[in-house]
Amino acid sequence: MRTLRYQRPEGVEAAVSAVNATPGARYLGGGTNLVDLMKLGVETPDLLVDVSGLPHHDIEELPGGGVRIGAAVRNSDLAADPLVRTRYPVVSQALLAGASDQLRNVATVGGNLLQRTRCLYFQDAGKPCNKRAPGTGCPAIEGVHRNLAILGASPHCVATHPSDLAVALAALDAQVLVEGGTGPREIPLTELHRLPGDRPERDTVLEHGDLITHVRLPAAPEAVNSAYRKARDRASFAFALSSVGAALEVRDGLVHRVRLALGGVAPKPWRARAAEERLRGAPATPEAFTRAVEAELSVAEPLRDNAFKVPLTRHLAVRVLCDLAGRAGGPR
Amino acid sequence: MDILRTPTDLAQRGHGGVGESASRPDGVLKVTGEFAYASDLWARDMLWGHTLRSPHAHAEIVSVDTTEALSVPGVHAVLTHADLPAATHYGLEIPDQPVLAGDVVRYHGEPVALVAADHPETARRAAARIRVEYAELPLVTDESTATAPGAPVLHPNRSDHYADRVPHPNVVHHQPVRRGDLAAAKARAEVVVTGEYELGMQDQAPLGPESGLAVPAEDGGVDLYVATQWLHVDREQLAPVLGLPRELVRLTLSGVGGAFGAREDLSMQAHACLLALRTGRPVKMVYSRDESFVGHVHRHPARLRYEHGATRDGRLVYVRGRIVLDGGAYASSSPAVVGNAASLGLGPYVCDTVDIEALALYTNNPPCGAMRGFGAVQACFAYESQMDRLAAELGMDPVSLRQLNAMSQGATMPTGQPVDAPAPVAELLRLVRDRPLPPPRQWETAVGTGTGFDLRALPGGLSNTTRGEGVVRGVGYAVGIKNVGFSEGYDDYSTARVRLEVVNGEPVVLVHTAMAEVGQGGVTVQAQIARTELGVAKVVLHPADTRVGSAGSTSASRQTYMTGGAVRNTCLLVREEVLRLGRERLGDTHPGWRGDGLWLRDGAVVTAGGEVLADLAQVLGDDVIDLEREFRHRPTEPLDPENGQGFGHVQYSFCAHRAVVEVDAELGLVKVVELAAAQDVGRAMNPQAVVGQIHGGSVQGLGLAVMEEIVVADGARVRNPSFTDYLIPTILDTPTMPVDVLELADEHAPYGLRGIGEAPTLSSTPAVVAAIRAATGLALRRVPVRPEHLTGT
Amino acid sequence: MDSRLLTSAVTLRVNGTVHRLTLDNRSTLLDTLREDLDLTGAKKGCDHGQCGSCTVLVDGRRVNCCLLLTVACDGSEITTVEGLSDGWSLHPVQEAFLARDAFQCGYCTPGQVCSAVGALREMAEGRPSAVTVGTEPPSGAAEIRERMSGNLCRCAAYPNIVRAVGDAAERAAEWWERTP
Repeated sequence: MRTLRYQRPEGVEAAVSAVNATPGARYLGGGTNLVDLMKLGVETPDLLVDVSGLPHHDIEELPGGGVRIGAAVRNSDLAADPLVRTRYPVVSQALLAGASDQLRNVATVGGNLLQRTRCLYFQDAGKPCNKRAPGTGCPAIEGVHRNLAILGASPHCVATHPSDLAVALAALDAQVLVEGGTGPREIPLTELHRLPGDRPERDTVLEHGDLITHVRLPAAPEAVNSAYRKARDRASFAFALSSVGAALEVRDGLVHRVRLALGGVAPKPWRARAAEERLRGAPATPEAFTRAVEAELSVAEPLRDNAFKVPLTRHLAVRVLCDLAGRAGGPR
Repeated sequence: MDILRTPTDLAQRGHGGVGESASRPDGVLKVTGEFAYASDLWARDMLWGHTLRSPHAHAEIVSVDTTEALSVPGVHAVLTHADLPAATHYGLEIPDQPVLAGDVVRYHGEPVALVAADHPETARRAAARIRVEYAELPLVTDESTATAPGAPVLHPNRSDHYADRVPHPNVVHHQPVRRGDLAAAKARAEVVVTGEYELGMQDQAPLGPESGLAVPAEDGGVDLYVATQWLHVDREQLAPVLGLPRELVRLTLSGVGGAFGAREDLSMQAHACLLALRTGRPVKMVYSRDESFVGHVHRHPARLRYEHGATRDGRLVYVRGRIVLDGGAYASSSPAVVGNAASLGLGPYVCDTVDIEALALYTNNPPCGAMRGFGAVQACFAYESQMDRLAAELGMDPVSLRQLNAMSQGATMPTGQPVDAPAPVAELLRLVRDRPLPPPRQWETAVGTGTGFDLRALPGGLSNTTRGEGVVRGVGYAVGIKNVGFSEGYDDYSTARVRLEVVNGEPVVLVHTAMAEVGQGGVTVQAQIARTELGVAKVVLHPADTRVGSAGSTSASRQTYMTGGAVRNTCLLVREEVLRLGRERLGDTHPGWRGDGLWLRDGAVVTAGGEVLADLAQVLGDDVIDLEREFRHRPTEPLDPENGQGFGHVQYSFCAHRAVVEVDAELGLVKVVELAAAQDVGRAMNPQAVVGQIHGGSVQGLGLAVMEEIVVADGARVRNPSFTDYLIPTILDTPTMPVDVLELADEHAPYGLRGIGEAPTLSSTPAVVAAIRAATGLALRRVPVRPEHLTGT
Repeated sequence: MDSRLLTSAVTLRVNGTVHRLTLDNRSTLLDTLREDLDLTGAKKGCDHGQCGSCTVLVDGRRVNCCLLLTVACDGSEITTVEGLSDGWSLHPVQEAFLARDAFQCGYCTPGQVCSAVGALREMAEGRPSAVTVGTEPPSGAAEIRERMSGNLCRCAAYPNIVRAVGDAAERAAEWWERTP
């Protein structure tokens, strides 16, 4: 690990200007991913600006039914929040499906969204990787890629985004509140993360110095009937092979409102808009769900060893929808 | 020299003799965090050692330049092959492994140079500044590349005793086991099934990484505090490397954070000692987790081909097998693994005609050696898969087929060795089969969820979203046979020193052995034996070190048998001495002294009828009885190199499993609902510890069945050296594990006991896979079985 | 660069004792406990938050202290396995681990014990896990298994760990009453 300076800024403005002034600076939240990457030599900050003390610890109900979540809220606290558990069960379930209690007690909302890929080559500072060292190549395409992307990858990078929370938030059209050098702004969560294209080193649209301060969940009545499901190689404490976050409202047997996002299959949390489009107004039946999810996955381009993730994701998504339809009183 | 947290005596004043679930003498220290593991050691002025490892799996070392590393402030020494003072190679059986690579590196992660510095980070950074120029060489990675014409010979000029009889110099050892007339048997067979099987590379993954502290001594020697499985074999390998007489190389066991075979070979031992002797300062080395994954040997990955011939009514007529084990770059314990795979390759069955060959390859893959089950695990997966195929072919019940062919006492092994102790194979199968099955579809019957439906009981737990429609139950069985102790003519012994004295009026027994306690509970059993044989409440266990004779390795399921046997025998000699002294000093006081059958109980000499003759304090006074004796099991013979015949093994150990799984075939998720085991342990020396061993072995077998594999790719490199990428079972993956324990005494063994640690690891894997096959109808020839193998994509 | 900027003054209260330290900013809490405070109970099993052997309680919550920078813990109250006993008797979780033989090699045990203490407290507070159904108070073996799944045990003493944590559940609640 490189030597580094450490600061605890008094406020948001001080934090942002400290990072803006130092090209090698990073914000430190819970640090469960950043410190890990520093040990691996993947991240080499020379200044850490600790934002865990900034006043972003609250979960507040907004007028109109939404919720605003401070970026420094610990994952376990968010998962346990009664408002979130009742209005947005998909969020609580996504959090509780990830990592371990020890990690969730430390990891923050902001840090969770900005965690880096678990691709073996990204994590191995001795190997080429376009995301870590632009222009060095992507050995994963021919190498070990069983758990990498089937959607949204590029010839430069096939990494997946590891966050469970982000999948739930993508489904809910969450807004990410960001403070940067030019003042506050809001970014839809679905536009926070980038597809790699030819710039895989940039995971998100954030600029250096941008600080996530809050995540805002808009009111979404159908989210009361939402769920997060995750398939993995062991029963607990493992990253997703594939995951699904969904919310569904059925009226008179027809899909009235639907939200669907996929995780573990793409470089970003994958909002399944094509599937949603097909489902709106369609009968809430397994057949319709299957057709819709298949449409979404028709653009999948699996690698040599991860084709299994296509049917796995299809089955998982269809089942979540069926399950939600059952709960909503629709046929299943 | 100030050294902190060196091992101390474990004193226990309590109860619990042989056959009772006595508590661990190190238990309180372990739950309070005070138990000193090797990684917890500290010495004043100590330096930290770090190993520079090869980034290539096969390369010539063109040049090494340490100048820059030596100039880093805080660095005290940098060592390369050129700095080695004496022997340059070591090995458990064949000294083919360089202490530091010389002209060539043969696997990814091979040690090339060492640094000692005042801080671990300094040592690591300095190592990164050692300039090594490599010229990569072609790789040998499997049987075809190892034995192809013109294949690079990884160890030219071999002089080991297998060299003359192997079919190719890249074969470490080759052992056929042949018995009966194969041609005639083939003609008799009415049904033949063949199958090819494969096992991935499993890692022992002990939670405590390799670590130790080497302290240079004023007499020119070195004291090494280390986590290992066998202190004396470490010393045998270290002394020549250090250029020291063995009495100047003193080892003391430090706390061991699990072993499972990973600590059978040297890792950091020689390196820390070399650095300590070079710098004159204590040197501590602790491997990081990723380094641990390349810093110890793994379980041999294997490819196996079997052919089973049987009569229509299910009797085995012949069994042919070919077992190819990948030994990786160095021999380690490959020869013994080959011997086990070949001699146990039939399984616990009777068959007059057997033609099985096993071999281990030299390749540029990571070196493989000892892991719990040691050659028998690989064979068991294949022969048990075959038994299921045969049962299916015959339309027989798989348990009945096994029972029909099960060996029992009096049977003959394929090696010609008579099985002269109980072999209750059919009974073990009956025990697991007759257990009531866990209720089906527990997700529907679970109470208390308010919905009458409990997703938690489904494969994938809450990640599942069916109501169980697509979930299929499968039940699978397997049974295995494992040898106990060192085989094939090895002079296997253990040593125990027992001291009896009276301190402040209380008799105290000190037990001193070199046995490595790695979690198996050996120290518990030693104390139980001392209490039983000497009738004394207070037992003190001396730290294990090389001041006492060798205990042999904590492996091969042997320590309760061997070191337990040594403690018992020495206790009996101490008791004889007590009685001799008693007769001499007090013989006139009571006629009972002249009788036979005197024994020791509650700190006194008692007659066979239980009458107290004298307290030990009266008998001993200020005298101390202090004896050290060796214990040997009955001798074995080498296996014949041509046909594998011979009295090769001391004892056999048997375990059977029934696995109940529920498989979600669409998602490829498996939930092992129950893993029932039945094992003959001869004598349950400590019933609680016995069950713990069976649980532990069963779960490691489950891990191999469904998740564990070292991924070797991108030029024979270990690609997943972390606990995120090499998954081992969590508490949530662990099923209900009911255990039946049989106690059929083996008259050849102390207390009639049987070594138990490994057998449960064998049959667990094939039982789980058989259950998944039963649920899915898939062939599943390879472990681990992953979701993609179940979803057909 | 001024090397003083690379270190920080940190105050920690560890097992009830206040420590004022000046540390390299890179120091993890695990290294500080082990190397600077001589508390080697927390173990370095992986150093990457993947095994749970380094679990300690920070401000009452269980954490993997290998991934915490000590400088970020300034002012925290830390309890390690060495601090669980009240000086007279073992903590109920420690007693239960002994009684149930819930370990073999013992390397993961300090982390298991601290994790169990934290898990029981989280359950008592009604915090949900992935297997919590509805809003009923979490209890039972399924909850214990899920909540302890961040602590690997290669000896697989898991069945006994489940029993030990279950045994300790009631007694631990009383314990917290007595020793806040």
